Amino acid sequence: MLRFVVRRLIFAIPTLLAVMTVVFVLVRIVPGDPAQTILGDQASAEALQNMRERLGVDRPILEQYVEFMGGALVGDWGESMVTGKPVLAEIARVLPYTIELTVVSLIIGGLIGIPLGAWSALHRNEWIDYVTRVGSLLGLSFPAFVSAILMLIVFSIQLRWLPVISGGDRATFGEWAESLALPALNLGLIMAAYITRVTRSSMLGSLGEDYIRTARAKGVPERVVIWRHGMRNALIPVVTVVGLYLGILIGNSVLTEIVFNRPGLGKLIVGALGQRDYTLLQGLMIIYTFVIVIVNLLTDLTYGLIDPRVKYQ
Amino acid sequence: MTETGKIEPVLDVSNLTTSFRIGGEWHPAVRGISFSLQPNETLALVGESGCGKSMTALSILGLVPKANGRVEAEHIRFQGKDLSRLPDDEMRKIRGNGISMIFQEPMTSLNPVLPIGFQVVEALRYHQKLSRGEGEKRALELLELVKIPSAKSRFKEYPHQFSGGMRQRVMIAMALACRPKVILADEPTTALDVTIQAQILSLLNELKAETDMSMIFITHNLGVVAALADRVAVMYAGDIVEIAGVNELFARPTHPYTEALMRSVPRSDRDTKTLYSIPGAVPPLTRMPQGCRFAARCELAIDVCRTQNPPLDVLGSGGAHSVRCWVRGNHDLAEMKENADV
Repeated sequence: MLRFVVRRLIFAIPTLLAVMTVVFVLVRIVPGDPAQTILGDQASAEALQNMRERLGVDRPILEQYVEFMGGALVGDWGESMVTGKPVLAEIARVLPYTIELTVVSLIIGGLIGIPLGAWSALHRNEWIDYVTRVGSLLGLSFPAFVSAILMLIVFSIQLRWLPVISGGDRATFGEWAESLALPALNLGLIMAAYITRVTRSSMLGSLGEDYIRTARAKGVPERVVIWRHGMRNALIPVVTVVGLYLGILIGNSVLTEIVFNRPGLGKLIVGALGQRDYTLLQGLMIIYTFVIVIVNLLTDLTYGLIDPRVKYQ
Repeated sequence: MTETGKIEPVLDVSNLTTSFRIGGEWHPAVRGISFSLQPNETLALVGESGCGKSMTALSILGLVPKANGRVEAEHIRFQGKDLSRLPDDEMRKIRGNGISMIFQEPMTSLNPVLPIGFQVVEALRYHQKLSRGEGEKRALELLELVKIPSAKSRFKEYPHQFSGGMRQRVMIAMALACRPKVILADEPTTALDVTIQAQILSLLNELKAETDMSMIFITHNLGVVAALADRVAVMYAGDIVEIAGVNELFARPTHPYTEALMRSVPRSDRDTKTLYSIPGAVPPLTRMPQGCRFAARCELAIDVCRTQNPPLDVLGSGGAHSVRCWVRGNHDLAEMKENADV
């Protein structure tokens, strides 16, 4: 299995190189001039030219490309064109926020979605099932920023359980939990909606299988039939969806981050895009690709935990 | 239960009806059948696909899906209990313990994500208070009993690492785990190729000889019936149409359907160019004819057959051979005709 992991990581290298090239080109295709964006409309032509030289965007594109690729490979991702801070440091500052938000949302989504999906499947076409299906459809179609604002109104303004804007202070667990609770709940509920629907349908599939009948015929208690025999087999499609959704979540958490005023990768990307911060954008794209590769790898490894027929070679 | 157990049947099914809801209406797939199973007897249930054989077995074990299925019976008596009225929890204690079942599809009947050893242990675990070690030891004995080669080293392997025949042996080991009084074998060899079929059949015969269990063997293969059964019940469209001892049935097939089934068996000792097949098909559940359900396909059918379903009549003395047929049963047809005209 270690060989499998190493091999997958080696295979990720060409992917990363290709993505870096595409990102490099894409970032420069986006209309707008970074010097203009930084200095504003009133800047003189001379100042703009100086700025372009300082940023290095006046040099031939190929030269910029070689410098970027060479630097990226040895860990020098350059400095942000706007703040002047190293790109890696900027990313490293927000990455923990994104990771904690994603992981806690995933846990919330799984804890709600898996039992709810199973429950719904077991009561197929009863009112519980209808309520769950309509509820999960609502969760899927509700825009994240609307639900985020609603949560703020309910939990922070009406009930006053949580601060509207949590301070940057995260020294104690309580403060950490306070700052994370609503954003994670917001994304977790959307995730729960996805997981509920997939779990329900794959559970319906696995409960109809012959081995479920065999387990019942052996006199295995119904609870064990459902969780050990049914759920274990139903989990594979769930893992697939979670893996795909995690990738989306990392980039799409931006609206949640803005509403709750949280730092994060999503917010950093949108900011960098608005300011034509080429170097920061490039760095963010590479990190994003890397995260997707890792999530896919973890997804594949999880299959192996669930299904003995999956072989790593 | 008592000393008279030798005379009492192990399983007595009376007036069992299993219905399914199709398009808002209930349609019986098994229509008030009755039979009993003697100790150490093998009763074969024979008939075409869709005649209610498997449903009979699933009804006995209470495994008919509750969402759209319904089981009613005067009684299904087993060890002094009426299975048709047993609460779920009590029924669970019978399944795999007093009565167990072997299914048709060994390829899909084992759970793909659990080791086979564990699946056999599971059959023991909920019925017998065995420690983990004892359970595994007994499961290993069972796998050896059903002749799985190097069972010990394969104990922790998964179903996909076994062939169809080996998987069916695992199924049999699971079914035997708690030394059940009755085994319901639902076409256990149909999905296997011929040489493996023979091995599984002889294994079942051996196991039955060694223990005192009884078996209901469901099949559409009359060759298997001849090799294995003591008594045969022929089913058609949810009815038992003929029931007799195996020798009696092969010597004197009486119901036209039984006769037709026997003519449909390919024979190597006769030079025939084409194989006989019964014209038509079993009527669907939603369109059961009013009279004898076989009438439309029967060469002997007379008027009364199309209007009234015949009762199951005992032929001759001894009560061992019964048939459900106006023409071949003990009926005064002239009298029947009069009644029909009225």
